[in-house]
Amino acid sequence: MLKPGDAAPPFDLPCALDDKLSRLSLASIRSEMVVLFFYPHDFSFICPTEVIGFHKSQAAFKAEQTSIVAVSVDDAETHRRWARELGGLSYPLLADEGGKVARAFGVFDESENVAMRATFILDAKRTILYAVASPINVGRSVGETLRVVCALRSGKLCPADWQPGSDSDTPDAKH
Amino acid sequence: MPALKTEEKRRTFERLANIREIVFGVQDGVLTTAGVLAGLSGAVAVRSQVILAALASTVAGALSMGAGAYLGAHAESAVLRSELERVRRESKEQPYVVQESLIEALGKEGLSREAGYRVVKLMSASPNVLYNTAEEKLYGLAGAAFGNAMLDGLLMGVAFLIGALVPLLPFMMIASVHGGLIAGMATTAIVLFAVGYIFEGRFSGERRPALAGLRFLAIALSAAIIGYVIGLLIAPIGTVPVG
Repeated sequence: MLKPGDAAPPFDLPCALDDKLSRLSLASIRSEMVVLFFYPHDFSFICPTEVIGFHKSQAAFKAEQTSIVAVSVDDAETHRRWARELGGLSYPLLADEGGKVARAFGVFDESENVAMRATFILDAKRTILYAVASPINVGRSVGETLRVVCALRSGKLCPADWQPGSDSDTPDAKH
Repeated sequence: MPALKTEEKRRTFERLANIREIVFGVQDGVLTTAGVLAGLSGAVAVRSQVILAALASTVAGALSMGAGAYLGAHAESAVLRSELERVRRESKEQPYVVQESLIEALGKEGLSREAGYRVVKLMSASPNVLYNTAEEKLYGLAGAAFGNAMLDGLLMGVAFLIGALVPLLPFMMIASVHGGLIAGMATTAIVLFAVGYIFEGRFSGERRPALAGLRFLAIALSAAIIGYVIGLLIAPIGTVPVG
């Protein structure tokens, strides 16, 4: 699994967005930061809570100049139907059929032939700033991902349980 | 009404589940008693002693087989029920594990992940439907599989008794040991052939049921011949004076 400081491998994959099929490359994403999260399967009872959670919090991520991109090994058409099933999603679901991108990030589960539940936060240069993988039975915290995005963008030293707005006396990270 | 027909079929399947006890009991009763008669006829020349020993063997065999079938079924049922309770508890604590496992199980049977998801989602509307399906589909634990230990034991014992009478009655009715033995073996052969023919051949829809009957017959003859030969071999031991 890639770690903070590693360059994010480039990708250009088919995707489903706004009930349409298209393509998306890492290079074409213009936002300052990118939250890239891998999940095992569409049409699963484990993943939808976090997939919907990211959808509901998209405005908050957008306010932090951050795009959300989800990736699984399902094809784009399946992604489209899955997004419909969940009531529509406001971010793209990338079709990493065969798991090439998941392998490049080191989060492909060879025994199950699916991507692990892993989240990466990329900076403007598409360098990995944050990387975390979760076991199959534990859903990710969207709030925690947003908190880390805010902390990373603050450019300050953020202590444990730091929250946005609680850092008036916290020194800059570069000092 | 289709529902009634399904219920009727389910009951038929439950009844068919007891064929194992019946066939096993009859076959064992016939073979054991034929073996005892053949063995003792070779070793003991006195007819009344042979009959007495065969009767004792029949009663002991019927009781032993019946009790064994009852205890076996009871133990199996207890273990399965305990396992079922554990599975139900886990299913309630982690329903998504059951849901995902069901999708995988349906996928292995040819349903796409999407179709499996939709089926499981529908079933999830009623937790009982979800858990019962999971128990049957994932763990092979069906309510009917528990059976009835008392019935199993009773059927096994009675079947053994009936089977034992097949070679024993002709032997008791004919005055000479060898004549009785031949008659007993003849009825044994006919009954074993019939059991194989009916239960394995006709009931299972085998194209050549006579083959199933002959298979039963071959097993019976082998057991009887081996018993008779062993009886002849150990006969001298009975004549050795003790003390």
